[in-house]
Amino acid sequence: MKKLLALLLAAALVMSLGTVAFGAEADVSELPREETLYFAGQQWGTVLSWNVMGTNQNNSMTIAGGPSGYRTLMFETLFMYNFMNGDIIGLLADSYEWSEDLTQVSVVLKEAAKWCDGTPVTAADVAKTWDVSVQVGNTTGSTYGAYIDAIEPTGDKTFVIKAKLDEEGRPVNPLKVTDFLTGAPIAQAAWIDTLVERNGGDAVSILNDPGDDVVWSGPYTKYYADDQKVVLVRDDNYWGQDESMWGKLPVPKYIAHTIYADNPAGELALKAGEVDVCQQFIGNIQDLWLKDGLPISTYYEEAPYGVCLTMPTAWYNMNMPVLAENPALRKAIAIAVDYDTIIANAMTNQSPSFADVPRSLMNPTDGEQALYNHDAVADLQWAGNDIEGAIALLDEAGLVDTDGDGWREYNGEKISLNAVCPNGWTDWQASMEVVAAAGDKIGVEITTLYPEWDIYQTVFTNPNQTEYAIFMWSPEAASPSNPWTRVNQFLGKDYVGVENNWSGNWGQYVNEEADAIIKQIPLTTDEAELIDLYTKLTEIYLTEVPSFSLMYRPSLFHAVNESVWTNFPAGDDGREIPPADCTDGYGIAALYDLELVG
Amino acid sequence: MKNTLRQVFHSSKFLVGFILFVLILLTIWIYPFLNPGNPLEMIGVGTFAKPGTYVSVYDALNTGTETLRLPDADDKRVDQLLSDADRVSMLEWFDIMEIDVSDLDATDTEALLDLWFEHYDQSIKPKGMTQAKRNFYKRLDNSVRQIRSADTLKIMHPEEGELVERGSINKTDYVNVGDVANVKLLPLGTDNFGRDVLKEMVSATGTSIVIGLIAGIVATLIGLTLGLLAGYVGGWVDDIIMFITNIFTVIPGFVLLILISYSIGQEQRGASVVAIVIGLTSWTWTTRSVRSQVISLRNRDHVNLSKLSGHSLVRIVATDILPYIASYVVMAFILQVSSGILAEAQLSLLGLGPKTTVTPTLGLMMNWAMLYSAHTNGSWWAYFPVILTITLISFSLNLMNTGLDQVFNPTLRD
Repeated sequence: MKKLLALLLAAALVMSLGTVAFGAEADVSELPREETLYFAGQQWGTVLSWNVMGTNQNNSMTIAGGPSGYRTLMFETLFMYNFMNGDIIGLLADSYEWSEDLTQVSVVLKEAAKWCDGTPVTAADVAKTWDVSVQVGNTTGSTYGAYIDAIEPTGDKTFVIKAKLDEEGRPVNPLKVTDFLTGAPIAQAAWIDTLVERNGGDAVSILNDPGDDVVWSGPYTKYYADDQKVVLVRDDNYWGQDESMWGKLPVPKYIAHTIYADNPAGELALKAGEVDVCQQFIGNIQDLWLKDGLPISTYYEEAPYGVCLTMPTAWYNMNMPVLAENPALRKAIAIAVDYDTIIANAMTNQSPSFADVPRSLMNPTDGEQALYNHDAVADLQWAGNDIEGAIALLDEAGLVDTDGDGWREYNGEKISLNAVCPNGWTDWQASMEVVAAAGDKIGVEITTLYPEWDIYQTVFTNPNQTEYAIFMWSPEAASPSNPWTRVNQFLGKDYVGVENNWSGNWGQYVNEEADAIIKQIPLTTDEAELIDLYTKLTEIYLTEVPSFSLMYRPSLFHAVNESVWTNFPAGDDGREIPPADCTDGYGIAALYDLELVG
Repeated sequence: MKNTLRQVFHSSKFLVGFILFVLILLTIWIYPFLNPGNPLEMIGVGTFAKPGTYVSVYDALNTGTETLRLPDADDKRVDQLLSDADRVSMLEWFDIMEIDVSDLDATDTEALLDLWFEHYDQSIKPKGMTQAKRNFYKRLDNSVRQIRSADTLKIMHPEEGELVERGSINKTDYVNVGDVANVKLLPLGTDNFGRDVLKEMVSATGTSIVIGLIAGIVATLIGLTLGLLAGYVGGWVDDIIMFITNIFTVIPGFVLLILISYSIGQEQRGASVVAIVIGLTSWTWTTRSVRSQVISLRNRDHVNLSKLSGHSLVRIVATDILPYIASYVVMAFILQVSSGILAEAQLSLLGLGPKTTVTPTLGLMMNWAMLYSAHTNGSWWAYFPVILTITLISFSLNLMNTGLDQVFNPTLRD
């Protein structure tokens, strides 16, 4: 009898567990497939907050992205950037105009722009967003605080952004002010007041407020979120259906993102058709359609399949005398590396080669490539795998093997370097292996090292570290202020010695001449002069080699499975919608054109 | 001794295991002579070239040809460029474009292609057709165009900015593979770095066996010493040793192994360090069994006689006890080697193995194959032979162990 009772109890327990698990699943499994667009590769882990004025929200579907394209599903920016052609397209705002001396920009908001509660978006909202952002030091505040002095309403729908000025009364950096237009989400003044009030004006608690009552202006809002899934639902009262904006609502009623354990899980879901839009690197992606015959496609039909906007780069640590004092060693390693192998292996050819797009400070887009004189630096560029050239360089510089152990010495000591990137970042690890192999061929000992991410990030952002000799990080991809921002990251002096440096120049390279040119560029508007300045910087960069890029890489991957939805943006469709995952910047335009298959 | 060896080799299980193991060792020794060079050299640009013989296309063009008129050559060529499924897809296209195909025989390649070239245009975008499908038809179109291409291909050579004809290739031209200057046999293809998998695997097997041996020696030495001491000395020494041993037995060895490997950090993790760490975490069972065997031995008459004769502890243990448990220790050692190899593979699979690029190990090969999704993209050659090798090594060692057990264990003896 007792046994029976125990058995019954156990059965009851199991059943109740089952119902609990099923209950949690039920809500999201009811989403109609034909009205839902599924994503992968953006949200990892549980959403922490919906507070657009906060930090650490871990809310990648609504609060993410930068000037190259803010994710405007729920919170909107003034303008949208299109990295395919450099256009800045109005969203909350209609137009902007710089003053003659580049000290201020006046912006006109769209008449139709409204918050979800029906109140209009006004200049006071923008000013309040800015004031509080600076006050609490959120992403907007800390990113643009050094460049924007104030935002002042000049009417209900008009305001001016005043640039910060240097001692001579010139704007510090007008390019960064333009970035603000496409990179900063705007919040409602009334809601910000509530937020500030309930946190007693304390910056830390404002940043950490969960913001569940947030007011939004975008086409979607939160519907459901837990540790398994994030679902957004369309706001059918969205102001953007006004003729002055999109003229219609986005097609999918729901936006859903299952939280996958890792990349392979997301990849499997894409293959199974459970994911429509996948922002993940998938090696040999062409096999998905060539071999497996799946209805999956990318922005371009042929390699590199996507739009490469950034260049993961190996930085030399200038805190190490052997690297700082030997430009020949820096250049020798850089020209000996077999980039074709890196691109074929690590990127599975989803990157143009350095023979196709010769190395410079620019990403491979036409706009940036036109910004330097290719012929002037042709002799300085290298495509890699030049072992003989590297050996000659080292021999010439007197870095030779004196004790016959097969490795070269500097000041009597064996040159021994490590090549470092975070553990588990497969494509970077493979690149570091190729760099190490190059060292082997030219008699410079390079060993690979893959620390865990939490260790890596504290070391490489420390300006005084001498633990990593060659280490990887990516400079900025694309935005209105690029290539300037990226060039500043490669050669600028601003970031040298900065503690907890996430901003740039991680190798601590100092070059006064380059720095002076970098300071000059934001204030230069003449095209020819700009090209001249960028060419000079490219010359310095390719001669001094403070770092070397290993590949070109998309900043967002864009693979779509057309089992349910179709008419995603493609390179040859003439719409010029960027492959920005249907969510970022002008990439969101894709959501308005989607069609169901069949 | 001679008698014991004869007995041991008489056991068929031991013999099979032994021969297998010797064959593996011989391969490790001989193969590098047949295929010399750095096993970590990245010969392939690109990931996972499949197993097979690779013939240099460039050199083949420069090799003298023979003309062979093979009756089925054209059919084979067409089959490769246009499969039956492709023919069905073409019919679907005609259907979508509302073209009448009622009197078309889909197996009639010429008629099918005529109709295809008449109606297909890459720029047409039928309503509702997905991008993936449109791309598929583009590829199909490019493929079938080759069927209609001329019987002769020209080889052009750039000279001073102009193309000069240097030769031509006919559909009936064949070269003898033996005449081509560069032919590379890759029996197991290449891995994610473009390395020759077979060459790398042979080298890795050697490293893994060395790791197993070091781990086995370390574990057996510690286990044996502690077991002998605890069993023979007894008393509080026994209590302390068993206390420590029990603690280590309770903590799962593999968890300990992971924690130690992680805290050592990758910079220090050479193959031998990993081997020692494995050894340091897997000695407990040897200690326990050696101890129980020694306890049963220590009150035997010959041991008591030695004691009465005033022999030292070391001498008694070495001459009166060790020989009686030697067979057991050898068997335990063999198992430790086998589990050491497995432990390295498991650790490396978790990314906690020896640091890469310096020496290949079987575990690292599997780790990279997994990181590059070899198991989902069908590149079986990158990991399956490795698994098979690990299995074979462990199988041969375990077989030897079972054979020895049958010889030495009185309860199992036939």
